[in-house]
Amino acid sequence: MAEPFSSTNTEPPAVEVVGLGKNYGPVKALDSVNLSIAQGGYTVLLGPSGGGKTTLLRLLGGFIRPTAGKILLHGRDVSGLPPNQRPTTMVFQSYALFPHMNVEKNVGYGLKIQKKTKTDIAASVERILSLVGLEGYNKRMPHELSGGQQQRVQLARSLVLERDILLLDEPLAALDAKLRKDMCIELKRIQEKIGITFVHVTHNQEEAMTIADRIAIIADGKIVEEGSPREIYERPQRKFTAAFVGENNLIEGKVINVNGDGLTMDAGFAELAAITKKQASVGSEIAISIRSELIRILDGNDGQAEGVQKIPATYLEEVYLGLTTMHLVRLPNGVEVAVRRISDDDADFGGTAGQEIIVGWNREDAGVHTD
Amino acid sequence: MQDGFMNIWLYRLGWTYVLFIVFLLLAPVLYIVYISFNEYTFGARIYEFTTDWYTLILADKILVASLKWTGFLAVGVMATAVPMGLLAAKFYKSTRHKVAFVTLMLSPLFVPADIMGSALLIYFKNINHAVEAFGAFLGVTWFHGFLQLGFTTALIGQIIYTVPYAFIVILITMSRYRDQQTEAARGCGANAWQAFWQVEFPQIKVGVFSSLAFVTILSFNEATRTALLKGGFDTFPNVLVSQMLNIGMSGESYAMAGIMAVVSMVFIGSIIIITLIRARGIERKFQPKAEPNPIN
Ligand SMILES: Nc1ncnc2c1ncn2[C@@H]1O[C@H](COP(=O)(O)OP(=O)(O)OP(=O)(O)O)[C@@H](O)[C@H]1O
Ligand SMILES: [Mg+2]
Repeated sequence: MAEPFSSTNTEPPAVEVVGLGKNYGPVKALDSVNLSIAQGGYTVLLGPSGGGKTTLLRLLGGFIRPTAGKILLHGRDVSGLPPNQRPTTMVFQSYALFPHMNVEKNVGYGLKIQKKTKTDIAASVERILSLVGLEGYNKRMPHELSGGQQQRVQLARSLVLERDILLLDEPLAALDAKLRKDMCIELKRIQEKIGITFVHVTHNQEEAMTIADRIAIIADGKIVEEGSPREIYERPQRKFTAAFVGENNLIEGKVINVNGDGLTMDAGFAELAAITKKQASVGSEIAISIRSELIRILDGNDGQAEGVQKIPATYLEEVYLGLTTMHLVRLPNGVEVAVRRISDDDADFGGTAGQEIIVGWNREDAGVHTD
Repeated sequence: MQDGFMNIWLYRLGWTYVLFIVFLLLAPVLYIVYISFNEYTFGARIYEFTTDWYTLILADKILVASLKWTGFLAVGVMATAVPMGLLAAKFYKSTRHKVAFVTLMLSPLFVPADIMGSALLIYFKNINHAVEAFGAFLGVTWFHGFLQLGFTTALIGQIIYTVPYAFIVILITMSRYRDQQTEAARGCGANAWQAFWQVEFPQIKVGVFSSLAFVTILSFNEATRTALLKGGFDTFPNVLVSQMLNIGMSGESYAMAGIMAVVSMVFIGSIIIITLIRARGIERKFQPKAEPNPIN
C-alpha cells in the first residue's frame, strides 16, 4: 500500500489540534487532545460510545466551541471561525438532507450559496451524482430514497463543494451490514479518486479496518493510540486498544524478571515469558495479550516445539460462527479465553466440557502492555 | 384510524359523540347568526329574513371606525407577537432549562384578563408620570404623553396576551425540525441567517402562518384588556360589549356577534383545511416512484 502520510515537502498537516478540550458543564467530553492528520489520507476516529469522537469532529467542523486548545486546519488557526468559514464540510449520520428540496437542489445548495450560475451548478451536480452512483435521481425527494441513497446524496452535497477536508460522523451507522460494507469500499474508492482528507468517525471496528489509512483510538476524551489498521490490530500498544480492537485474550500479572529481549510475568497460576522492547520494572503490574486466532489447544507434539508458552486450562464449550469456530477455555485463575479456528480445519478439534487441556501460543505472538 | 379490532359501531358512536359536542358548542353561535338575519330580532314570533342589520353596521361610522381599529390592532399583533413567539421558540430549543422557560413564557395566560389589564393600566400610568417628570426635569417636552393610554398601550396589552399562543403554536411545528439540517447548511457555506431562511423556515412556516391566524383571531375576540388600556378609541368587541351592557342586545349587536363568529370560524376552518390538504400532499409524495435506474 502506498504511504499517503509521508509528505516529502513541508506542507502543514490538514488537521492539527493542540491541547484541545471540551467540557459540557461538568462533563469533560474531550481532555487536552493532541492530534495531527496529514493531507490526503483516510483517517478513522474509532472508539467506544461516549468516548468523545463526535465532540472532536464537531470541534473540527466549527459546530461547537472548544473549552481549551487550538485547531489548525492547513496551518491556519480556525478555533474561532464558524463552520461556513472553515475548509471543512460534514456528512451526518442521518436526517441531514433538506426534506423540502429534491436531490438536485440538496446537492447544489452549497454552490447556490456561492452564487454559481445555474448551468455551472447543474454541470457540477451531474458530475458528482455520477461519482456517487446516483445518475437519474435528480428530481427525487429525500423521503423517496433508501437510507443508503440518502447517505450518497449527503456525500455528494459535501463533495461538490471541493473543500479540502471532509468530516463524516457515523455516516454508515444507519445502514444494514451488507450495505455498510459496500459503502465502505465505495467511500474509500471515492477518497482515493479525489484525494482530499477524509476524517471519519465510527465505533465499528470492521468499518474502521476496511476503510482507514490511519486509525486513532479515542476513549474517555483522550486519544489512546494511533496507527495503521495493521499496527492497531496486530501490535496494539496500550492495554485499552488490545481489549477494544480485535479479539484479544488479556492475562494480567506482576513482572518478576526482566532481561535483554523480554520479561517474565507471574500470572498467579503460571510464569509467562514474553518478548518485548518495552521497559518494565520488576514488581510492576502489566498485561499480556494474545489474539484468539493465535492461541491454540495443544496436543502432545505441538507442546514440545521451541518458543511455545504452555499453560493448563479447562475446556468449556464450542461456539460455531460460520467461517470460524470459537472454543472457550478457562485458565486456572478463572479468566475465560477464546481460541478461534477456521471451521473447515476444525473437524476433529475440540474437547468435552470440563476436560483438562493445555493451551499455548508462540512467545513472539504475545503483546506486552505496561499501561 | 381503525386497527381492525375496534367494533365498527363503537367507532361510529365515537364520531357521533364528537359531532354532537361540536354542535353543542356551536349551537348558540349559530343561533345568534340565525337571529341576526331576522328583521324582528330575538324574541319575536315572526321570522323575516333580512340583511338590514348588517347594512346598518356598515353605515354606522362608529362601528366602521371600530372595525378599522380592530384591524390595526390585529396587524400590529401579527407583526410583533409572531416574531417574538418565533424567537422564543428558537431560544427554547437551545436552552437547557426547558420547563422553567415554558412556564415563564406561558405565565401571562394564568393571569385573569381584568387583573392583567388593570395591572398594566396602573403600570403604564406610573411609567408615564415618571417619564414626563423626567422630561420636565430635563426641560424638554419630547416625553409628553409617552405612554398615555391609546393604541400603543392597547397593543402592548394584546401582545402580552398573544405571545404565549404564538410561541406554543410555532414550537409545535419547530419541534419536528432536525437541527442537523441547520448544521449541514452551515457546513455547505450558509451563514446563520441563510440556514434559517432557506432551510429551517420553509419547514416551520406552517406553524408561523397558523400562529399569525391564531393571534389575529385572539386579538379580534379580545375585549377586557383592550377596554382598560385603549384610551380614546374603540375596537369592535369593545363596542359590542358596551352596547350589550348599556343598551341590551339589538339587531345590530346580533349582526356584530355574527360577523365576529363567522370571521373566526372562517379563519380556523381555512387553517384546518389547508393543513389537511398539505397532509394529503405529503402522503401522496410518500408513494414510492419507480426506480429511474438500478444502483450499481
Ligand atoms: N450536548 C451535550 N451536553 C452534555 N454532554 C454531552 C453533550 N454532547 C456530548 N456529551 C457527553 O460528552 C461525552 C462525549 O460524547 P460524544 O458524543 O463526543 O461521544 P461519541 O464518542 O461520539 O459517542 P457515540 O459513539 O455514542 O456517538 C459523552 O459523555 C456525552 O455524554
Ligand atoms: Mg457520536
